[in-house]
Amino acid sequence: MEILASSIVAGLLFGMVLALVALGLTIIFGVMDIINFAHGEFLMFGMYTALLTSQALGIDPLLTLPLAALVGFLLGIVCYRGFITYILRGPMIAQLLGTFGLMLLLRNIALLVFGSEDRAVHQGLLVDKSFEMGLGIIVPATKLAGAGLSVVAFIGVWLLMTKTRMGKALTATALNPQGARYMGISTEKMNALAWGIGGASVTVAGALIVNFWPVNPYVGLLFTMIAFAIVALGGFGSVPGAFAAALVVGLITEIPGFWDFLTYTLEMDWMYDVPMTSFKYMWIYVAYFIIMVVRPRGLFGWKH
Amino acid sequence: MEALKNAFDFSDQPRLDLTIAAGVALFLLTFPLLPVSAFALATMIQFFIFSLYGMGWNTIGGYGGQVDLGKAQYVGIGAYTTTILLIRWDIPFWFSMPIGVVLAVTWSFIIGYPLFRLKGHYFAIATIATSLVLKDIFEVWEFVGAARGLEISPIEYTPPDFLRLIFKEDIYYYYVLFVFFLVGILYLNWFRKSRLGYQLRAIKDNEDVARSLGINVHWAKIKTYAIATAYVSVVGSFHACYIKAIEPEDTMSLDISILIALMAMLGGAGSLWGPIIGAGILIPLKSYLKEWLGGVAGLTGMDLILYAVIIMVISAKEPRGVWGIVERVRRRKQT
Repeated sequence: MEILASSIVAGLLFGMVLALVALGLTIIFGVMDIINFAHGEFLMFGMYTALLTSQALGIDPLLTLPLAALVGFLLGIVCYRGFITYILRGPMIAQLLGTFGLMLLLRNIALLVFGSEDRAVHQGLLVDKSFEMGLGIIVPATKLAGAGLSVVAFIGVWLLMTKTRMGKALTATALNPQGARYMGISTEKMNALAWGIGGASVTVAGALIVNFWPVNPYVGLLFTMIAFAIVALGGFGSVPGAFAAALVVGLITEIPGFWDFLTYTLEMDWMYDVPMTSFKYMWIYVAYFIIMVVRPRGLFGWKH
Repeated sequence: MEALKNAFDFSDQPRLDLTIAAGVALFLLTFPLLPVSAFALATMIQFFIFSLYGMGWNTIGGYGGQVDLGKAQYVGIGAYTTTILLIRWDIPFWFSMPIGVVLAVTWSFIIGYPLFRLKGHYFAIATIATSLVLKDIFEVWEFVGAARGLEISPIEYTPPDFLRLIFKEDIYYYYVLFVFFLVGILYLNWFRKSRLGYQLRAIKDNEDVARSLGINVHWAKIKTYAIATAYVSVVGSFHACYIKAIEPEDTMSLDISILIALMAMLGGAGSLWGPIIGAGILIPLKSYLKEWLGGVAGLTGMDLILYAVIIMVISAKEPRGVWGIVERVRRRKQT
């Protein structure tokens, strides 16, 4: 039972971080109906930013969060102004392949600049520390802090989206771009802003993830796919939906470990050959597929 | 008989196109006889493989307008079926290839039925998801060699073996594939003028109107998806015999699926020659960029950076591909 409880806690904590990863994607999709394949690469740049500045300045990776946010914001704006704005009017396939090209570009720039080896954070306030939460549940401090700060950032962005004037303009652009233009909202600026906010939130997530996940230039695609699944589960464009779906996806990735534990303790030897942990990402895609077919709008979607 | 006549009937194409096509065909026929390097020959084989993938994709993605980014799973099904049947039961290529097609098409029906209830982005991402699910399964499944993959050891056979398609020299593969290539074009030529072909273009233009005209939209899409699958699976089987070592990463990865779609888009999706033009530009470009820049120290990934920039420029500036430019020039001449 303790194993189950700790799997669930680990899943929920990972899900909270994933919520921040998916937030940027859902905002961008909601505002301009475009799927960004390069999303995971933004995350990768966030991870490198946190890792390298903390190593260069000798400070804790958590203190680099503002810098990561700035990098992500600028990267998002540059990508939008320099490239995305040109593919927006094209057919859907050009948009998909265009952002795929952006993904290849960012990934290989990282490969050229940072090299292909795995790098991980070895020093920091939180590394190698863990909390005992009772019931025998032990949580690494890095994951706990990552989850907590993710939730804070998530709520911050959500408040920005719903309470401020700028956020309301953004929502208006998402709902009806033409109507928004009639109201005097510069939709071009709002699109760029959505990319900026999307980029910033995902690089912050990257800076949090790097504390417990080694980084290399190929790390992005897995997170892109997870973020797609979350956004689809939660409904494209829905911010609260993304949060709920991220928790579900977090649980999906952690529960298979518990299942493997069961097969070993109950000696179900027919299961030995196929450890469920090697399928943990597959279940995300399966869940995505089922939800898409049964309920295409997603769990909380409004756009279709 | 009527169908065969239709397949050979290219009379609706402009004479200029046909002249160029005939010239290119003659060039391709004599290419291996010219003094060319082994690398050039291997590149041309890749060109044939990817133009056939592109032709398959073009049926559903080009004529049908359904952006399918999961074609790699059928490459995997074809390649694995052929390899497993050959190394376990010594079943030759010409028997294992149809079995692979049957398996791939069956799988395409199973996932196609729910898939085609989706549209647009949802469809595109769902195809990626199904492809990744299959890849994850193959990476763990011990029977198919898990992540290590499978290997055909050519020592056990005496090349040239036309039954099993095991050769020492690439030139044999080249000509076998050239035949496939011609058959592929003829089938596509028949397909675009068939009832299904017209139905599909109607669906692409306006799905609701197509439905109101009595076209079974869902079923037409599923059938075309199966045709596209058959193309890809046949070439996947061939790929296994040619490469002789397959693993999930290089037969079923997302990159392959994207490359297939890219090929067709660059050339011009929904046109007869589009995928061939696309493959003819992109494959030599990719493989020579890698040859020239991939080995240079300190420039790892430089070839892929250039490749990525090319993709981005095309999708921003000319999303209708090379064929789009040709058509625009022609329209301007007419007026």
